[in-house]
Amino acid sequence: MKLSVNSAQGRVPVAVVGVQGDLDATSYQELIAKAQELYRAGTRHILLDLSQTTFVSSSGLVALHSIALLLKGDQPPSPEDGWAAIHSVGRGLGAGPQPHVKLLNPQPKVDRVLEKAGLKEFFEIHTDRASAINSF
Amino acid sequence: MPEPPRMEFSLSVSAEVANLAVIRRFVEEIATSLRADRKAIDDMLQAVEEATANIIFHGYHGQPGNIEIEMGQEQGALVVRLRDQALPFDPTRVPPPDLTSPLETRRFGGLGVHLIRQFTDQMTYRVMPEGGNELTLRKNAKWTSQEDK
Repeated sequence: MKLSVNSAQGRVPVAVVGVQGDLDATSYQELIAKAQELYRAGTRHILLDLSQTTFVSSSGLVALHSIALLLKGDQPPSPEDGWAAIHSVGRGLGAGPQPHVKLLNPQPKVDRVLEKAGLKEFFEIHTDRASAINSF
Repeated sequence: MPEPPRMEFSLSVSAEVANLAVIRRFVEEIATSLRADRKAIDDMLQAVEEATANIIFHGYHGQPGNIEIEMGQEQGALVVRLRDQALPFDPTRVPPPDLTSPLETRRFGGLGVHLIRQFTDQMTYRVMPEGGNELTLRKNAKWTSQEDK
């Protein structure tokens, strides 16, 4: 997996994080770490560009959940605590789509994983980059 | 339960997270060579990823071990059989998560098994006679014959 970060300015500053390749058990901690790094640097809105994400496992879904928690101001689970701790995440995001993290252009098979995991209602999904940035 | 016949294609890897991608490549290559349809391949890849990650993280708990993968075509279905020597664990008995609950009460444990159920047509489990777990995943597929190419 390769990550890219681009800054964009809509109504608020937005970090566009491109996720290229497989978001799975080997790579999900890297994405969480990147979001933590951005958050520490002041980022409060992230658009995850999934247009080049070829695979998302349940670990990848945990990363999305953790990033949403982080941007909500909660401490996400520590990757050092291991898989069991991360999978026992019980703290929540509240109802409805998350205002601080949104998704751009997931490929159909990634979109199906989000749907079958019941996570689509919690993440706004956009198909146009400019309108996604301006939606924050 | 009778011993299932051995299937044509097999792979044995150590239970390490780095081998998840190796397993996915193996399943994709064999399923493609068998000429299963793309959706069936993608669905099986998702299920195999979740099942093998569960074996590595929950079965072996990061301890050394092996995973044997066997796959082929059985009665119109793409079939993957996973064997390991970790502690007995029957994923078919994991209750489904409540996906109607808000995330504040939802837990991520069991999400992998939920995805296995969602992306396969059948999941069966048995303890092997010699000990160890055997999980069989079946996905109905459309098959392209050589003549269709």
